Amino acid sequence: MTIEAERYGSRADTLVFLGCLVLSVVAMTVPDSIRRPFSQALRQTILAPLLALQEETATLKTSRAHVDEITAQRDSAMLAATFLPELRSENARLRSLLGLGQRLATGYIPAEVLHESGPTDPLTFLVSAGRRDGVKTLDPVVSPGGLVGVVSAVDEQTSVVATWAHPEFRAAAMALDGSVYGIVAPHGTEGPGIWLLELQGIPYRSVVPESTLIVSSGLGGVIPRGIPIGTVIGPGADNEHWERTYLLRPAVHPAAVTHVMILTGTTKGNGNLRDLFQDEGKSP
Amino acid sequence: MRRTDKYRFWFVLAGLVLLHFSVRSRLGDDRIAPDFLLLALLMYTIRAAPGPSAGAGFIVGIIRDALTPASFGASALAHTLVGYISSWSKAVFFAENLFVNGCIFFGGTWIRNLVVSLASGELKGQTLVWELLVWSPLQSLMTALVGVLVLIVLGRWLSVRFTDA
Repeated sequence: MTIEAERYGSRADTLVFLGCLVLSVVAMTVPDSIRRPFSQALRQTILAPLLALQEETATLKTSRAHVDEITAQRDSAMLAATFLPELRSENARLRSLLGLGQRLATGYIPAEVLHESGPTDPLTFLVSAGRRDGVKTLDPVVSPGGLVGVVSAVDEQTSVVATWAHPEFRAAAMALDGSVYGIVAPHGTEGPGIWLLELQGIPYRSVVPESTLIVSSGLGGVIPRGIPIGTVIGPGADNEHWERTYLLRPAVHPAAVTHVMILTGTTKGNGNLRDLFQDEGKSP
Repeated sequence: MRRTDKYRFWFVLAGLVLLHFSVRSRLGDDRIAPDFLLLALLMYTIRAAPGPSAGAGFIVGIIRDALTPASFGASALAHTLVGYISSWSKAVFFAENLFVNGCIFFGGTWIRNLVVSLASGELKGQTLVWELLVWSPLQSLMTALVGVLVLIVLGRWLSVRFTDA
């Protein structure tokens, strides 16, 4: 086949064209017994390197797809591994909650904390138990570590819990040995001590050593006696009016709680729940 | 035409054939991916006489028939027709114009698909309509775009000089 820059159709061109047309029609009409060996011969000779190239390209394409798939699986595994400590922690919390439930025996309602991604979430949060479950306003809310707060509002299926961090939270408290009594309130809503508690109203002559466990005293009849509230970490900034104030490290941080128990009535322990809770520092 | 131009010409055609068997499978849907093999044939017919173009079309077609034995001969018939018509129409139009060449690539691809569809008898009814009115035009467009791109980039190697339409 020659290449010509300028050409016009000649009789020879027409003959070649017609010949090719005839051959094409013949190719269409020949039986399979001839077609197949002919096609096979072409594929195994002229087309063999090109088909090998095509196969190689397809293999590369598939390999790349496999690499992408494996990469995605690896990323998923890494993501799951990232959450593994959190799952273990939650598992430990649930186990301790289960232990507390067995110790309480009766008079509690388990509930799941429905956290919201807002900055005020630790002040109040929703729990998945409401009036239908027997929850009432001012019911104490505890976790295996200690006091979380009290129920401030009750809906049919959910309840609002005001945690100890809420500015209006107050609880009658005492040292574990009963040597001092006072009122526990949140330290404040701003500054570095925002997530601390204050033990207020301690007589000036009484000194509370550091690491003293402060528990609820049961006065007022809202919060049962003996529920851990926090641990003394030092005197407060303002010691005036012949009384002392102490800073407490809370026994439970509201943001870390995923499941709680709402105390609804009589429990074991003759009104003193101290023995039912975990020791300070062992709370998950 | 210099002697080296001829080698460059064949080099471009060989490159298109290699692209057909390597890159084409990565260019998306097989129904609309550009047909590099047909493009190589049409590039050849731009410069060759109608007779050799028909012969080249027959060879390309019979090779494609070997890859699709179900419609053996249909592709040979289609490529023979396209090769001859393309070369003949180029002589009639007598224009080294980019748009005309693009139209030849578009029309050549569509006519090839038309003839293969009808001659093979495999496509009927709605499938045939979709093939001729949707997929074939899309593939023709893609092939034409690639062909125009090749002419723009490698036009000098193909000894194609463009004039104003």
